[in-house]
Amino acid sequence: MTDAGLTAAMVSDAPAAARKRVVVAGRLLLAVLLVLGWELGARTLGSVFFAAPLDVAARIVTLARSGQLAADVASTLRVSALGFAIACVAGVLLPFLLRRSPRVSTAVEPYIMASMGIPKYALAPWLILWFGIGDLPKLVVVTLMVFYIIFITTTAGIRAVDQRLIAMARVAGAGETAIAREIIWKSLLPFFFTGLKVALPRAVSATIVGEFLVATEGVGHYIEYSRQVADTVGVFAGIVIAIVLVLAINAVVNVIERRALAWRPVEREMEL
Amino acid sequence: MSDPTLLEIRNLGKRFPARHGREPSPWVIQDLSFSVGTGEFLTIIGPSGAGKSTLLNMIAQIDTASAGEIVFNGETVNSHDARMLRPGFDRRIGYVTQDDNLLPWRTTIDNVLFPIEVQGRLNDETRAQADVLVRAVGLAGFERYYPHELSGGMRKRAALIRTLAYDPPVILMDEPFAAVDAQTRTQLQADLLTLWGLGRKTIIFVTHDITEAIALGDRALVLSRQPTRIAAEHAIPIPRPRNVQDIFALEGFAAVYQRIRSDIQ
Amino acid sequence: MTRWRTYTDRLIVLAVILAAWQVGSFLVGPYWLSSPWAVAARFTAQILNGELIVQGGYTVEEALIGTVIGGVPAVLLPFLLRRHPVIVAILDPFMVGGYGAPKLAFAPLFILWFGIGIESKIALVASVVFFIVYFNTLAGVRALDPRLVQMAQIAGAGERHVARHIVLPAAVPHILAGFRIAVPYAIGGAVIAELISSNRGLGYLVQTGAMNFDTTSVFAAILAATLIVHGANWLLNAAERALLRWRPPPRAVLETGT
Repeated sequence: MTDAGLTAAMVSDAPAAARKRVVVAGRLLLAVLLVLGWELGARTLGSVFFAAPLDVAARIVTLARSGQLAADVASTLRVSALGFAIACVAGVLLPFLLRRSPRVSTAVEPYIMASMGIPKYALAPWLILWFGIGDLPKLVVVTLMVFYIIFITTTAGIRAVDQRLIAMARVAGAGETAIAREIIWKSLLPFFFTGLKVALPRAVSATIVGEFLVATEGVGHYIEYSRQVADTVGVFAGIVIAIVLVLAINAVVNVIERRALAWRPVEREMEL
Repeated sequence: MSDPTLLEIRNLGKRFPARHGREPSPWVIQDLSFSVGTGEFLTIIGPSGAGKSTLLNMIAQIDTASAGEIVFNGETVNSHDARMLRPGFDRRIGYVTQDDNLLPWRTTIDNVLFPIEVQGRLNDETRAQADVLVRAVGLAGFERYYPHELSGGMRKRAALIRTLAYDPPVILMDEPFAAVDAQTRTQLQADLLTLWGLGRKTIIFVTHDITEAIALGDRALVLSRQPTRIAAEHAIPIPRPRNVQDIFALEGFAAVYQRIRSDIQ
Repeated sequence: MTRWRTYTDRLIVLAVILAAWQVGSFLVGPYWLSSPWAVAARFTAQILNGELIVQGGYTVEEALIGTVIGGVPAVLLPFLLRRHPVIVAILDPFMVGGYGAPKLAFAPLFILWFGIGIESKIALVASVVFFIVYFNTLAGVRALDPRLVQMAQIAGAGERHVARHIVLPAAVPHILAGFRIAVPYAIGGAVIAELISSNRGLGYLVQTGAMNFDTTSVFAAILAATLIVHGANWLLNAAERALLRWRPPPRAVLETGT
């Protein structure tokens, strides 16, 4: 690289390795301070507001042993997965279908954007009215939540496809379905994965929130129920489980993405 | 009578820091020395990659020197330590870079006034002076435009008068007209000479274009390839004021051009 | 001419939607699905008698205060830490964790701590807004062009000047983007907190409406909430247009080449 104008040639004297050690040490220190703060909060503010870390850990173990942890997590995951699956199918199909008719697309677009502004959780009470307390209201809310994310990313991905490739394919005699499958879908994949990465953890957290409003089981239900009976330890335990669950899903999606896109020389990342 | 020396470069050297565990990198600039007199228009010619920008960066004090000294008005500048650098050397050295580096969120006139503003000298008088410069380079009427609404040439002019507006004694210029079409370039060269004629600042002008170097400068230095040093020095005896448009026809041009050309071969 | 066609197309779609809705309401009965006409009437009535204004006001108040409490530190922090990348690096995994953790899932915790009053809603909104705005602002501060900083330093600008004239304007687009993303979450968060436990606000209206089998009220409240979200978006868009007039339109960037 030749000298290209002004470049900040300020090279720090401390080698990068020493700085890295400081950062890692700092992080550990901060983590320890947080846990200590948690413990201190539990001691000074009383057991109504704060549950001590050890108590929370003990409760999680109890829940695991009794099988309730597994049952609640399974319930939450079940609803999230189903909602996620339905939303993915719909969220991917709809843009492709709309693509067939630009006229319908432009006509429908403002309404889709308008409906995006509806706070989806606000629909929950009405859904409970219809379907009672069960999986369905949660499912609908989760599906709606994920649908918009997938829909928007897919639409953006379709728009970003190189028009010349499509023109070339048409000249070569490819039909619309073939074009959709070969060119658009393949170009779409990076966008799609970005959408997935965002949507999957959202699906889980949306389910948990849905369970606050309507449920007899699930992680969210456990948190809300614990609050209602003033079981602070339970609230904390449930939240820790919720956080771990979402972060774990995040990690799993990252691994899958790395594997699926490993063959790509250039990873196009899209900021959402 | 020779001009008093304003800026002296002594055995300047630059090499980029070695990567961890690797051998020290080669010298980009080594043993480079020259001096500039007050009010002189010095041009420096060198091919791309010869470290022209690096040299100017060091003089402007935004990059460290690995060896050698910079002496400004008798004062030796400490430029080996990054923490001791004083960019612009307390506003005594202006720098017109290759990229115009205009602030995209400011209008043309606000960009031109930017140095004056941060120096706390914004008043009616400085504003009036800036207006004169704006008119002098043909940007009248475009004061309220944003950079993205200006052409490349117009942005260059704005960047140029931005530095001229606050009147530093020395001005460095790094191929400021390189990215502009030939016609605009000739016009800008003429404008620059006119403005320089008014104030007789000290200018160090770097370019890869021999014709430009001869048209503008009192003296031209030729850089060698890496490790870069001064390969040759040529006086330019063409009298001023010069007609840049017809520079090829002027007396003495061809001879100087040939001499410099053969140096570069 | 196709402009007209688009308008008419969209009107047709609207008519279809409303018609389907009306038919649905007719089929299942107004208890289960209120008709568009009834919702519009109730909405207007509740605006005129002030009910929606008052309750909507509570929701907006919660969202607004929460946005300020969460947003201001989120904007300040990257600026204050601009010259301390080590601290930013130390904080990073905690910030990422905070961003990834489902803040809405914390709603019961906030209610436990702050009660069912306005404070818990504000806390929830603040926690959601903070992480979103922090990362966007951080990106904006990082996107700084070092050459512009050097230009300013040569012109004599000190650290304060650089922060005010170079770093801040460059970061403004990112800060606005952060708030734009955060706003629907802020309002949604306020509504959710109200749904779980509240005696005020649009979420409260939705909850009580549902409990009374009054789907008309439910829809009127949801309509109000939706309009607030869109209104906030519109405001932010207008702010962006006003503050960012200097931005080149996307095509122009390609022409000049960066």
